[in-house]
Amino acid sequence: MLEDQDMSVREAAAFAQDARARARKELVISTPLVYMAWGMVWLIGYGAMWLSVRGQHPYTGPSGVAIAAVFVLAGFAIAAVLVIAHKAVAGIDGQSVRHRRIIGSTWAIGYLILLIVAPAVSSSVSTRTLAFISFAGPVALVGLTYILAAALGRYWSALALGVWLVIVGTSCAWLAPATILATCALGGGGTFLLMAVIETRLRAHGS
Amino acid sequence: MAAETELDPVIHAPARLRIAVTLATLRDEDSLSFSRLQELLGLTAGNLITHLRKLEDAGYVTTVKAGRGVTSRTSVRLSPQGRRALDSYTAVLRQLLDSASTNGTSPH
Repeated sequence: MLEDQDMSVREAAAFAQDARARARKELVISTPLVYMAWGMVWLIGYGAMWLSVRGQHPYTGPSGVAIAAVFVLAGFAIAAVLVIAHKAVAGIDGQSVRHRRIIGSTWAIGYLILLIVAPAVSSSVSTRTLAFISFAGPVALVGLTYILAAALGRYWSALALGVWLVIVGTSCAWLAPATILATCALGGGGTFLLMAVIETRLRAHGS
Repeated sequence: MAAETELDPVIHAPARLRIAVTLATLRDEDSLSFSRLQELLGLTAGNLITHLRKLEDAGYVTTVKAGRGVTSRTSVRLSPQGRRALDSYTAVLRQLLDSASTNGTSPH
């Protein structure tokens, strides 16, 4: 069927539709899955930390178990996203690959800076400031990364997500530590899950 | 069936249509390795080369070879001209299907 043969208009339309659907499935990174993975990590991770500090007087910070759970969940999410991305971009070369490297490096360096800065300033700043840097910092950083991705690759749906996450992260500057965690869980994780639903519907509508 | 002659004959073949549509999924500046394209389309290497040559002769795709020997890699990219040709092919295809459904005839 794939030889150089005649085909009707209807057959051609079916071939084109089938090839487009297959190519999108195989060559395009599934953003709904990526959003879903990070949405679950943030909702469960920040939610678990919020549950562990809820009712603390005075505030002493999330329990070690909750923090460990966040790192384990984040590890799974990073591994899942890397597998999804690696499978989709295998064999692809060009500008979008360079853009992904820039975006990934920016995100990794930003996280590394937060991981170094938060413990370094922990003894010289208030618990509220430390909570802001440690918990809201990653949300604002991911927001900035999505804005960078939107600017580099013209992924305009990512721009709205990025701007929103920066707003969520910045708004935490005025909040108490426990409220910061709840805000990040719902405003960050909840938004990722919502975006997963929106992207899934948009893709179904567009195909 | 005079309108069907408006369909670009270079693209209007199952294998070349699938090649063009698959490459059009990539972003403008991106290319796809020959082996991945072959895997996606399920064509033999010889068959794929034949169809790519026809698309390349029309200026619709560009192939780039990088490296030498066992590390060599051939990549394929849809040219801007190829992208425009596919867009216009798709538009004509849609028109033909629409007119066929309006007239109640079968678009064969």
